[in-house]
Amino acid sequence: MSAIEARRGPQIAARASIALILIVAMGLFGLGVYRAASLFKSSATAVQRPTGTTFPALPGTMYVVQDGAIYRFANGSFRQVTSESGWIQPSLSPDGSRLVVARRSLNRSDLFVLSPLGRVLLQLTHNQSPSVETNHWAFYPRYSPDGSAVYFSYDPKDPYNTYRVDLAIFATGAHDASAPAVQWSQPNEYTGGDVDPIPLRNGALLYTKFSIDQQSVVHSQIWYAPHAGSPGIGLTKPADDCGQPALSNDQSMVAMVCRHGGLQSADLEVASFDPSVPALGSFSVLVGGGLAASPSFSPDGKLIAFLAPGADGGPFQLWTVDPNPATTHSARQITTHLDLDSGSAPAWAA
Amino acid sequence: MATVNSGPVPMPVPNPLPAGTEPFTVLLLGSDDDAKFPPDRVNTQSMILIRVDPSTKKATMLSIPRDLWVPIPGQGMGKISTAYQTGGADGALAAVESNFKIHIDDYVWIGLAGLVRLIDQLGGVDMLITNPVMDDLYPSDINSNDVYGYSRVAVLPGAVHLDGVHALEYVRSRHGDLRGDFARSERQQQLLIAIKARAEHLNAADLPGLASAMEGEIKTTIGLARMRLLFSLAGDFTGPNVQRVVLLPPYTSEGFAAGQSVVFPDWSQILPVVHQSFP
Repeated sequence: MSAIEARRGPQIAARASIALILIVAMGLFGLGVYRAASLFKSSATAVQRPTGTTFPALPGTMYVVQDGAIYRFANGSFRQVTSESGWIQPSLSPDGSRLVVARRSLNRSDLFVLSPLGRVLLQLTHNQSPSVETNHWAFYPRYSPDGSAVYFSYDPKDPYNTYRVDLAIFATGAHDASAPAVQWSQPNEYTGGDVDPIPLRNGALLYTKFSIDQQSVVHSQIWYAPHAGSPGIGLTKPADDCGQPALSNDQSMVAMVCRHGGLQSADLEVASFDPSVPALGSFSVLVGGGLAASPSFSPDGKLIAFLAPGADGGPFQLWTVDPNPATTHSARQITTHLDLDSGSAPAWAA
Repeated sequence: MATVNSGPVPMPVPNPLPAGTEPFTVLLLGSDDDAKFPPDRVNTQSMILIRVDPSTKKATMLSIPRDLWVPIPGQGMGKISTAYQTGGADGALAAVESNFKIHIDDYVWIGLAGLVRLIDQLGGVDMLITNPVMDDLYPSDINSNDVYGYSRVAVLPGAVHLDGVHALEYVRSRHGDLRGDFARSERQQQLLIAIKARAEHLNAADLPGLASAMEGEIKTTIGLARMRLLFSLAGDFTGPNVQRVVLLPPYTSEGFAAGQSVVFPDWSQILPVVHQSFP
């Protein structure tokens, strides 16, 4: 080995060390850039499960839905009570001891009675069928005030036209899966049908009815039917496009969502209600200009829970607002980074 | 290979000049792109003309009924949705330009799978569903072994946050609605506005993922300069600045031609509206 070669040995080792350091530095720099860039990515997909985070506490217990699972919200924490398997639209029995829930599967949905901890007690409907178009839907289950019946939306088939699929309101026994269901409403054809049944103490029913006018514009109205089969009357005007009614426990106030002909905002509004007339009082907008959905009164009537996107849009979060039209309304966002099912109104118990 | 291209606009140069503020018109084409059709010979389920006026920050959307019965250049009479099938994007552009007597600057074609991926990449869209959208004969041809199969759809009313698959169900269903394809056209316009709203939250760090998701599912002649202009204007196109036109009766009437259910245009009523909205 020559003297020159002998000197090159340490030089090569030093250069190799420098190269290694540079490679590591470049790697760290690249990683830093990658991490920094990720901070600038939109937060559109930053959704988490309700469990594992605490939120501001609300009075009582509430049931909400995310990704097909029912969650129980109490003392600021969520507890998952069912698996993620298509559960939607929970509603409490009058004594709070049971939930009636829809479970959605491919091509159909069925109604189940669950314990508050999610155990299946009874399957109320059996809508599965071997051929696609003979399956049925059942949505929006709601107990009658005495707990003896469950009202819901269901698609009776039109034997003359397979294109027509309109939901109608039915009622069935809450404790007997074999009890025949009674059809309450007759939907306007090809509107998609009647939804959101709310049975009243006087035996009548509130629900949302849709119509399509001569200019092919779709309208929705809060509808009142005094008895099964009655054509009923509209409590709101077609132009107000109101739906998703919620009733206070004392039945003196209705909360609803109205879009007033628009397609980009749905206001949360309240009106006094007199079932004996029946009529709604003047409307008050509690939350305007956003996408409010599925209101629900607290058991004491002092709050309304509803669902709406977070501050910069995106998945729906839980919000509350004071329903008293005389107070200054300021909606309060309760949850963040959830993706709550906006079609499942919070079921709120004391 | 990604099919987003720069079209007739030259490749960008450093510090490119800002795009002009002249109004321009884009034809948006939405297609089936499943195994029922040979590649690039698909029907266009959706045709929406969009005119953007950067100076006034206003946009107009006009939905063209897919069953509109018109003369198609080089083909004869046919449904306008078949123009793309026989002549590709150029065929669709020629059919719309010749019948509606307008000039179209650019086009955007997007496949159904691309629309689903786009919406998912945006993190979903917020929509306001006016009434239950029910369909017992919804084609289940995406990610399916049976491209002629069907399933049931029930999109329930109210404000919702939809992922790509459910947004597609909302804009593609048509059987259970009194207004048929016209209702679908309205819903497609509504979805465009919702996508625009979500796109406002995007920034440069989201674009690689978006481009990757859309690979092969979007084709356009819109150049980068105009795309950048659209991106910067997106927030200005809010509710009152967006005019929506659907060619309902009396502009059109339903009937039969060549053994098919078609939509007949009344050009004496349509063209004045078109020339007013797309001068």
